[in-house]
Amino acid sequence: MIDSTTNSRFTNKQLIIIYTIISLVCLLIVWELVARFTSASMFLPPASEVLTAFFRSFAEPIGQHTMLFHVGISLYRVAVAFLFATVIGIALGVGMGYSRLFEAIFKPLFEFIRPIPPLAWIPLSILWFGLSDTGKFFIIFLGCFCFITVNTYDGAKNVDPELMGAARMLGANERQVFFKIVLPSSVPYIFAGLQIAVTAGWSAVVGAEMIQSNEGVGWVIIRGMSTGNTVQIMVGIVAIGIVGFILANLTSALERRLCAWNAQKGI
Amino acid sequence: MVEKKQPKVQVRNLTKKFGDLLVLNDISFDVQAGEFLCIVGPTGCGKTTFLNSLTKLYEPTAGEILLDGEPVDLKKHNIAYIFQEYSTMPWLTVEENVRFGLDIKGVEKQKANKLVDEYLDIVGLTKYRKYYPDQLSASMLQRVVIARAFATQPELLLMDEPYGQLDIQLRYHLEDELISLWQRTGTTVIFITHNIEEAVYLGQRILVLTNKPTSIKQAIDNDLPRPRKIASPDFVKLRNEVTDLIKWW
Ligand SMILES: Nc1ncnc2c1ncn2[C@@H]1O[C@H](COP(=O)(O)OP(=O)(O)O)[C@@H](O)[C@H]1O
Ligand SMILES: [Mg+2]
Repeated sequence: MIDSTTNSRFTNKQLIIIYTIISLVCLLIVWELVARFTSASMFLPPASEVLTAFFRSFAEPIGQHTMLFHVGISLYRVAVAFLFATVIGIALGVGMGYSRLFEAIFKPLFEFIRPIPPLAWIPLSILWFGLSDTGKFFIIFLGCFCFITVNTYDGAKNVDPELMGAARMLGANERQVFFKIVLPSSVPYIFAGLQIAVTAGWSAVVGAEMIQSNEGVGWVIIRGMSTGNTVQIMVGIVAIGIVGFILANLTSALERRLCAWNAQKGI
Repeated sequence: MVEKKQPKVQVRNLTKKFGDLLVLNDISFDVQAGEFLCIVGPTGCGKTTFLNSLTKLYEPTAGEILLDGEPVDLKKHNIAYIFQEYSTMPWLTVEENVRFGLDIKGVEKQKANKLVDEYLDIVGLTKYRKYYPDQLSASMLQRVVIARAFATQPELLLMDEPYGQLDIQLRYHLEDELISLWQRTGTTVIFITHNIEEAVYLGQRILVLTNKPTSIKQAIDNDLPRPRKIASPDFVKLRNEVTDLIKWW
């Protein structure tokens, strides 16, 4: 563990950043050495080469577009699907958690769909939506909507009955109980779900872009594979990793702001 | 001409069974408007059950409870209910919690602001208005709940062992605050406790209940002057009187 009392020169936060950088640098060095001096060099290009290609990809296009465009188009696809997943996931989760009838109708259906991996839908998605963007939205949607639904459902199920009682005592009708108690007290659960879902949706983008496309980080990888370009595959992987990392941090920063009442506990 | 004043609350032959378990056995009493009534009874005798029957959470097995001569309707009657658990909304700040009941009742914004300010000040939480419940101590939380209840200007305030979990110092303090709020607002209070001293300290009238199946053992008028001194001979005498009546042990 990082102990702040023995290392008074740095704050805990600074230390965590320092350790993160050290771990990253070590990874890069090991990667570089393994790729240069062992037989792994057959399938693993060295870190320096991948990183150079990665940075160059912002200036020189891969296919028809530069990296920024590929990342942008993939983010756009995730964003659209994520938006739908958020609206439908929250509505479904809160509905199932709050109303017995709703739960009886939708839960079995949901439980049936939930374990099916998003990639298993690709053939159907092509049949239904052709090769349009709609099919990609559909796959990403399936990749993230379950997480949002499950977490929201958990939240709505775990509402403190005392609080609902207190609201009813103050004269609240069912609609007010729902919007003023059930929904807000589910917010931390919803956020936990959104956080997982953003990452899951971003992961699903590769699968979604396996349905024929001409751009996107998933396409960069798929294209690298079909042309035997290992460096390009790894450039795509690096891009996906970095964007995923940024997304995860953005959502948790957003959560800290919006759920201040809940975060205070830990601090 | 002398008009006969209608009691605020009329409890008529109230009986409540849970299955075969007879809890409340044919209870009748009145509460006058503006009265501070304490109900004392052993744990498990059905005090909470009585309040839950009053607020329609439970359906009485027989008998009825009337408020201003009518059956209780939470949407119409303005009742506040404070229980032992501090039911503050953790996602709302202190001031938003106090405002909660006013929002529910659709009180107009400017009036609500004024009431919130007023009651935050009365319970001494103005400085903490932007805090979240997680940052407050137990006694402050209970004050938030009390401010929330009084801000809605209830015609009837029900309290179910609200100070059961607090230490004695804080209890005295909050009890004094409660009395001064009651005197200031003239609201009708039904205060439930199993603590005899608390009942003698607060009540204008004390209703002593028996063990299950529960009926009313006796109603005692308590006109000791306020502020009451728990060590004064009159106080001790009345406390012993109530204790003798009870002898649950
Ligand atoms: N919903 C319920 N179902 C069955 N029994 C109950 C219920 N609520 C209370 N009781 C029983 O009624 C009795 C009185 O409970 P309660 O009113 O909570 O007592 P008090 O508040 O005086 O301590 C207890 O024996 C309790 O077990
Ligand atoms: Mg009780």
